[in-house]
Amino acid sequence: MSIALRGIAKQFGEFAAVKDIDLDVPTGALIALLGPSGCGKTTLLRIIAGLDTPDQGQVLFDGRDATLWPIRDRKVGFVFQHYALFRHMSVFENVAFGLKVKPRRERPAASEIRKKVHALLELVQLGWSGDRYPAQLSGGQRQRVALARALAVDPDVLLLDEPFGALDSQVRHELRRWLRRLHDELHFTSIFVTHDQQEAIEVADTIVVLNRGRIEQVGVPGEVYDLPTSAFVHRFLGQVNELPVRLSDGRAYLGPIDVSPAAAVNTGAVNNIALIRPHEIEVGPEAAGWPAIVTAVRVIGPVVRLDLSVQGQPANEPLEAEISRERYEGERFAVGQKVGLRFRRWQVYPANGAAA
Amino acid sequence: MAAAETRIPRPLPKTGRLVLIAVALTFLGLFLVLPLLVVFVQALSKGVSAYASAISDPTAWAAVKLTLLVAAIAVPFNLVFGVAAAWAIAKFEFRGKSALITLIDLPFAVSPVIAGLVFILLFGAHGWFGGTLRAHHIRVVFAVPGIVLATIFVTFPFIARELIPVMQAQGKDDEETAVSLGATGWQTFWRVTLPNIRWGLMYGVLLCNARAMGEFGAVSVVSGHIRGLTDTMPLHVEILYNEYSYAAAFAVASLLALLALLTLAGKGFLEWRQPELRHAARRARWRENS
Repeated sequence: MSIALRGIAKQFGEFAAVKDIDLDVPTGALIALLGPSGCGKTTLLRIIAGLDTPDQGQVLFDGRDATLWPIRDRKVGFVFQHYALFRHMSVFENVAFGLKVKPRRERPAASEIRKKVHALLELVQLGWSGDRYPAQLSGGQRQRVALARALAVDPDVLLLDEPFGALDSQVRHELRRWLRRLHDELHFTSIFVTHDQQEAIEVADTIVVLNRGRIEQVGVPGEVYDLPTSAFVHRFLGQVNELPVRLSDGRAYLGPIDVSPAAAVNTGAVNNIALIRPHEIEVGPEAAGWPAIVTAVRVIGPVVRLDLSVQGQPANEPLEAEISRERYEGERFAVGQKVGLRFRRWQVYPANGAAA
Repeated sequence: MAAAETRIPRPLPKTGRLVLIAVALTFLGLFLVLPLLVVFVQALSKGVSAYASAISDPTAWAAVKLTLLVAAIAVPFNLVFGVAAAWAIAKFEFRGKSALITLIDLPFAVSPVIAGLVFILLFGAHGWFGGTLRAHHIRVVFAVPGIVLATIFVTFPFIARELIPVMQAQGKDDEETAVSLGATGWQTFWRVTLPNIRWGLMYGVLLCNARAMGEFGAVSVVSGHIRGLTDTMPLHVEILYNEYSYAAAFAVASLLALLALLTLAGKGFLEWRQPELRHAARRARWRENS
């Protein structure tokens, strides 16, 4: 089922949770709504599910206006961050719930229900757990039960609200990959909410970045990461270094480095800043670039992060560069060492707009 | 790592703990166990036969029956109201919600005597509706309906107050999940909400029942103390006491205490009948502690 949002707005008291949202989700897509807390992503998800009604705008399911459809008629599966398993029911009863509450005419036979529930529990790799109670399962297992339960009613759309937010990182990583595989196998339309850019990049086909109730950018993960259209998106998707852009004689500089060819430099704005990701900083011999001093070295698995202090930058805000472990093994940068910096890539934004 | 570094210092020396336990037990004995014992000792002070005749007295029996009848009406009424009010308050946003919460607390804030007087003013011979009621030959005040009304009023907040925090803590996730899985509102209530609140509900019913059977002030005002007709057990105890029939008074009091003990035993029995729940609760506790 395809979903379209047209001019959706929702207000809670004085607070505008979402403003004028337009979005198209094609059938079979796996979309991430990404943003900081309070950006309106959960509200948007709840509006699609029918758990909230928008003040303005329309929700279209396959082109039909579903704005006022009751939740029960929408055929959406909804998965909460804290699983919302029915604690007084066994795992089997939880998964069977959606089938057992169907009106008698539509309700499958008991044997039919048993078969389907067992198949679903196998699908989520919990075939052994039918007689257990939610309190007897780990977080990751509970969330898989919640997914099986949502899938039991054959939803056209799967909506997940921070589905992995309450899990530890190892389990989270496994479940992400598993969700991706499940989606590829079953081909429903999925929308999930997350504040974790890594999760969005890893799982989704398309990322929708939200900020203060508005959509900042929509794109495939690589595009949103590499070609952010605003300083907000640039900052939100991964680490950045910020440097003021100095204009002199019609040319633009970062420190002593001439970055004038950057067509993006907006000479009309009074202040511009450049955002540079840590892996876009090249660390070389002192003479080959902007002189800097290594103030800290941290080896983080396959990458090595260097803190670099440069002249003109406050001492407590060093630049962060990331180099590969192999490179580090070869050059052995040490604290106190003098090096020269060059930038492989950067992007320039007006500073005032970026203050958000 | 050395064991000495990881050892958590003991919170209190042994003597300190013993003193605290002794203080707690003394308190418990003095304020809970002793009064209960006194009731039964006093009741039996004139021998078993005197006890038997005191509680087989027709007016005593009438008081027991009336008390049970009043509780049997007031508790279900407040059960339905309490669940409905708590459901509305905990799960929905609406205008006038805080006013409703305040109203529910009103019977706690108002003295029971005043609650009784209110019903006299409304339904008494010279009250607002007194004329109408007399014209239709309906007796409210100094009759069973008045006692029931006063009891309902006084026990109004117990169940709702018990359930509101439980339901608020549980949030709406379970209900929203149920509805998204296709359940109707009614199915959601019976299959998801009610099982989730059953322990809180049971506790609320127990408290409500205990108060309904034990209420004195409000009932005393509206009852009129007609022996064998409008005397509930607490009122009957007082009458006997004022007549210096101590043994009889305590005999009836012991029945009232016995009813309370029975409700507690009932609660224990229900908990004992739910092994899977105890099991789950224990496991959850164990997981949290480990």
